[in-house]
Amino acid sequence: MHLFRILFFYEWRHFRAARGLVLLCCLLLATGLYGIYYGTTEIERQRQHLANLPELTRRNVDELKVKFPGPADAGDIGYYHSTFAMHHPDRWAALSLGLRDVNPSYVKLRLLGLQNQLYATDNTNPMKVLSGNFDLAFVLVYLLPLLIIALCFNLLSSEREEGILVVLLAQPVRPAVVVGAKLAFRLVVVLGLAGLLSVVGMLWAQVPLDGRVIMWLSLTVLYCLFWFGVSLVVTALQRPSAVNAVALLGVWLLLVVLVPSLLNLSVATARPVPQGIALTIKQREEIHGGWDRPKTETMNRFFALYPQWRDTATIRERFVWRWYYAFQHLGDLAVAPQAAAYAHGLQQRYDLVEQLNLLSPAINAQTSFNALAGTDLPTHLQFQRSATRFHDSLRAFYYPFLFGKVEFTHADYAREPTHSFTSQPELPTLYRGLVKLLLSVAAVYGLGAVLWRVRPIIPR
Amino acid sequence: MTYILEAKELRKQYADKLALRGLNLQIAPGEVFCLLGQNGAGKSTTINLFLGFVQPTAGAAFVNGLEVATNPIKIKEYLAYIPEQVMLYPHLTGLENLALFSSLAGYKYPQWELVQYLTDAGLPAEAVQRRVGTYSKGMRQKVGIAIAVAKHAKVLLLDEPTSGLDPKASNEFSELLRRLSGQGTAVLMATHDIFRAKEVGTRVGIMREGELVDVRPTATLNAQELEQLYLTFMN
Repeated sequence: MHLFRILFFYEWRHFRAARGLVLLCCLLLATGLYGIYYGTTEIERQRQHLANLPELTRRNVDELKVKFPGPADAGDIGYYHSTFAMHHPDRWAALSLGLRDVNPSYVKLRLLGLQNQLYATDNTNPMKVLSGNFDLAFVLVYLLPLLIIALCFNLLSSEREEGILVVLLAQPVRPAVVVGAKLAFRLVVVLGLAGLLSVVGMLWAQVPLDGRVIMWLSLTVLYCLFWFGVSLVVTALQRPSAVNAVALLGVWLLLVVLVPSLLNLSVATARPVPQGIALTIKQREEIHGGWDRPKTETMNRFFALYPQWRDTATIRERFVWRWYYAFQHLGDLAVAPQAAAYAHGLQQRYDLVEQLNLLSPAINAQTSFNALAGTDLPTHLQFQRSATRFHDSLRAFYYPFLFGKVEFTHADYAREPTHSFTSQPELPTLYRGLVKLLLSVAAVYGLGAVLWRVRPIIPR
Repeated sequence: MTYILEAKELRKQYADKLALRGLNLQIAPGEVFCLLGQNGAGKSTTINLFLGFVQPTAGAAFVNGLEVATNPIKIKEYLAYIPEQVMLYPHLTGLENLALFSSLAGYKYPQWELVQYLTDAGLPAEAVQRRVGTYSKGMRQKVGIAIAVAKHAKVLLLDEPTSGLDPKASNEFSELLRRLSGQGTAVLMATHDIFRAKEVGTRVGIMREGELVDVRPTATLNAQELEQLYLTFMN
């Protein structure tokens, strides 16, 4: 232990002298801080948007009160009145944006058919989406391994190449202690940086101090340990520094770029998902067809589903709101299997990726961070289901007005249902991610231990 | 008689080359044994086997009665090694390098004592606090010597230690070896320098193709006779 401490201390001296590495650490710190700034800014922007939505609804109501000063037909109100299903981000979302940049954080809803409203999103610059998020999770998952590689590619080889290793190993110190001290120092540097960034990120994002703090830190530590394990394996092969660097960058490229791309392709092939646009078109065709269909046929189909409104008068007029909303709803029901298949297909893809992400700890870590922050696909699907239920509640609120021929008064606006959904962490995914990461770490250190055993250090 | 260094039927086979063919060698405390031989004769392999840097194919090497293969760490407490090129951490000063290596050997000295070791080894006092990156080969060699002396090693293993040193530095080095030998330190030195071997050695051994073909006390030969002997074996 005494020798370990000496070597550890001198590692600090060597590190301090290697200005490039110090600069690299500073650079990672700066990119990490930028990642935190980017993530918190993006989430704050979404929060601001969400905070403005009730005001937009209020203004819409005020306009409607002017447009319809007295009691009005609820059909008119349902048509012109828009409200919002809101997906509030969890505080953790600022550290791992996940899908929050591609999926809408709110859905503008009217009493019309739901499906086309559900998939209507704000315009997003595709180039921005392509470049992806630069949040803290991105820095930890994709950039931190590069720092580990920069710190470890010449763990022993530089001393061997410089001829220092023979002098070092001529001292009564176990090679394992030399390697251990070197690795431990680098681990402290990297974990210190990752821990510092995580703590700054948590404070900046004002996350609640719950078990997820431990989960986040555990994920970070395990992920770093994995990359240190990879470095240990490559070091055990005792190749020149240049070969080590190429090998480690190759592993990084494989696990961070190639495997995720191949996984994406194979999952898309294995789990085909119906196109969202096909669903929208079918729903629109169904709704537009409703204008030409005999009203009795439409209403009978509707009453079969909602027999409580069967006693309403037969429609003889050319246009009646309850008929209009009936065929809007029947349009949704016509594409319900496709909508379910779409959501199911997305979930299946996600599940398959989650099963296969053992192949790439980078994907596993990213998936786990997103699950922790509630910014993954299952959370978005939960929001969509919640928005669907909200739309159902809107219909349930308006139908008595429409079918009971009750006039809609100004006081009724206040009774209209509202919606709010806040992301929750996907804890089962997170736990599985942690276990898989632990397995990856165990596997890589097991391999490292075997290699070190069969290949003793050659000092020259 | 107790030997501090001993090789018994020491054999080393590399993939395509038999580097050492059953070496038998005993070196007593205070003895300076010089190994002469061409490149590839097995001199460095012998030193590496005593250091435990390579494992013998057969036979055994002993340091202070301990077998190297089974006590690879313990034997290094008795050994100091000075290679042909002493390479040290270039960003540390001579003093810091000495502090590091002597603390790894289990010795913690106050600064003045470290300075003393370095200046005794011939390093100019002004260089002690300079980074090793600015040192000449000779200066690094002197730090290497200081490391060996500060470790109180019972055995010095030297692999072409004077190669590339200027005559003055070589002379100082010989002087130091004599001094250490006088204090009971055994020296095993692999060298091409016949005259230096004659000057400092108590015995010389001539190696050829992995075999120790002749061993003579230096006192029985003059430099020319030694050179003649060497050339005879090499031819």
